[in-house]
This record gives sequence, C-alpha cells and structure tokens, in this order.
Amino acid sequence: MIENFLSDAFFAAIAAIGFSAISNPPRKAYIFCALIAATGHSIRFLLMSPELGQMSIVPASAIASSVIGLLAVLLSPFAKIPAETFMFPSLLPMIPGIYAYKSVGALAMCLLHTDETGFLHYFYLFSTNGLVCLFIIIGMVIGGTLPVFLLKKIAYRATRKS
Amino acid sequence: MPRHISFSVVSEDGEPRIFMTGTGKSNISFDIVSRLSRISWEIADNKWDVDRAEKALQSVKETKPANRWWILFAVSCANGAFCRLFSGDAVAAAVVFVATMCGYYLKQLLIEKKVDIRIVFAACAFVSSVLACADKLFSLGTTPDIAIGTSVLYLVPGIPLLNAFSDMLDRHYICFFSRMTDALVLICCLSIGLCAGMWAMGIGMF
Repeated sequence: MIENFLSDAFFAAIAAIGFSAISNPPRKAYIFCALIAATGHSIRFLLMSPELGQMSIVPASAIASSVIGLLAVLLSPFAKIPAETFMFPSLLPMIPGIYAYKSVGALAMCLLHTDETGFLHYFYLFSTNGLVCLFIIIGMVIGGTLPVFLLKKIAYRATRKS
Repeated sequence: MPRHISFSVVSEDGEPRIFMTGTGKSNISFDIVSRLSRISWEIADNKWDVDRAEKALQSVKETKPANRWWILFAVSCANGAFCRLFSGDAVAAAVVFVATMCGYYLKQLLIEKKVDIRIVFAACAFVSSVLACADKLFSLGTTPDIAIGTSVLYLVPGIPLLNAFSDMLDRHYICFFSRMTDALVLICCLSIGLCAGMWAMGIGMF
C-alpha cells in the first residue's frame, strides 16, 4: 500500500513536470508543479483505494483538485508566480484522457454496428466514458478554482513585489 | 477562439475610447502569463507611464520558448510515467517513452512546417499507436493494452479542456464553446489516428 502510494506520487510528479514543459512555465515553477501534482494525485489514489472506502473517481478527483488548488494558492506568493501556473500543470496527470478518446472511439464504432446489440454496447461505452470524462473535468475545475476564489487576496497578489 | 478583441476605457474627463485589434496566434506560455502579471502590478503600484509599460510588454513578447529537445525528453518521460500510473509494467513504460518521443518529434516537425494542427494530431497519434503496438505484437511485456492506450495521451489537450470549463463556470459561454469545440476536434483527430494505428497493426479496437 505505502509502496504503491509513493510510486503513484513519484510518477505523478514526473508526469506533471513533463506535461507542464509543453506550456512553457517559468523554470522555478517545475519543482512546485512536481510537489503539488504528487500530493494531489496520491490523495486521489488514497481516496480510491479499497482500504479507504474506494471512492468513485469523480468526487476523488474533485477533492484532490481542491487540494492542488489550495497548495497552488498558498505557495504562489513564495514563488512570486500566479497560482494558475502551478495549478493547471499539476492537474494534467488527472485529466481523463483515456475516457475522452474511448468515448469518441465508441461513438465511431456505433456507426459501424447497425445491429441492435452491437450498437447498444458501443453506445453504452460512449455514454459511460463520455459522462465520466465530463464530470471528472467539471469536478476538477470546480475543485481547483474554488481555493483561488476563496483566497482571492493571496491568489491575485502573488506576483506583487510589496 | 475570438479573432478580434474590443477594448473600451473611459478617460478621467469622462471621454470613452474603444480600441479594436486582431488576436495573434500563440502557444500556451505560463512564463509569459507570469511576466504579464508582474508587469500589471508594477503599473498599478509604481504608476509606470505608457512608454515604460510598452517597453516591458515588448520584452515579454520576446520571451523565448523552452528548448525543444528538453520538451521532447520531458514529454516522453511524462507519458512513460503516465503509463506506470495506469499500472503498466516497466517494458510498457519504455515502449510508451519511445512511441511518445517519435510522435512528439513528428509533431514538432509538422508544426514547424505549418501543417494543419488536426492533421498533425491524427498523424502523431497514428505513429505513436503503431509503435506502441510493438509491445503486443512482439509480446514484450505483460501489459500491452495499457501501453497502446497511454501512448497517445500526450496529445490530449488538457489545458484547453480545463480552460473551457473554467470559462463555463465564469459564464463566458462563447469562449467556453469555442475552446471546447477546439479541444473536442483535436480529441476526435487523435482518436482517428489511434484507431487507424490499431487497425493497421491488426489489433482489436476497444
């Protein structure tokens, strides 16, 4: 359990550093992205583990995202970088990419299967994957941006010198 | 995204002014976002004049993008790590690393040649998925399906998706639809590339 938890945090940190590189963050943001993503992703791992109640992926992602948002806001004044610079790259390892393209693929398969059983099977895959993907992203955005709005004074003044 | 921006201000003597300008194409850059945020506070706190603010803005515009080889290496490592997060074995992660490196290198080349982004996404997804199929075809590891599934995840437009829903919550519905449609089109293109790759390698889909 602890080994899985640590490896989840480690690989989430690498994923956050790598994917954040695409969006060209300031150099000192990498270490913060890694720390925040590792914390957030491992919290989701814990919430979804059978030992701790096996929470569904949608609320688990929302809770983990709110922790990511909170950490991003609290750390942004120290780095003098806007909270969004940490938050968005840190959320990337939790983006439900597999659900997204499975949903599109299943929709395409619906068109290739005109028989009722085949069509219903792929329509089921399309709708379940699409809905899970949709609600994970909505939960992540609400969870992530809530701390920014609740702690406006800290979040918006992160880059202020005085 | 909107092609033009309309900006209206009212001067101290109450005279309104409206400016309209076209928007330029630019990649996502949090470095530029951070610098702009810093400048905005400098202008507000230290009462910078227009000339100084414009000079600072010009210097921000000249911000160099990150080294392309660093990005290529970092994205490949990230996707390999992603494969491990989805319970892929070490062989699958190595296969995904190579598949991502080739796919992302192709993406950089095609974008440099100004090829349409939708074609770029389909082509990169095809290349990455074909290479990832090696795990299954040559029985290299124990989790080939995870390798194939995660090999194209570096193409998922995560930040546009997050931004789209963030716009929705802020009630910027036109911007939301615009970003969301852009992201969905790219996801469709990557799905086409992935399905084509799996079909070409004779591997069952979904």
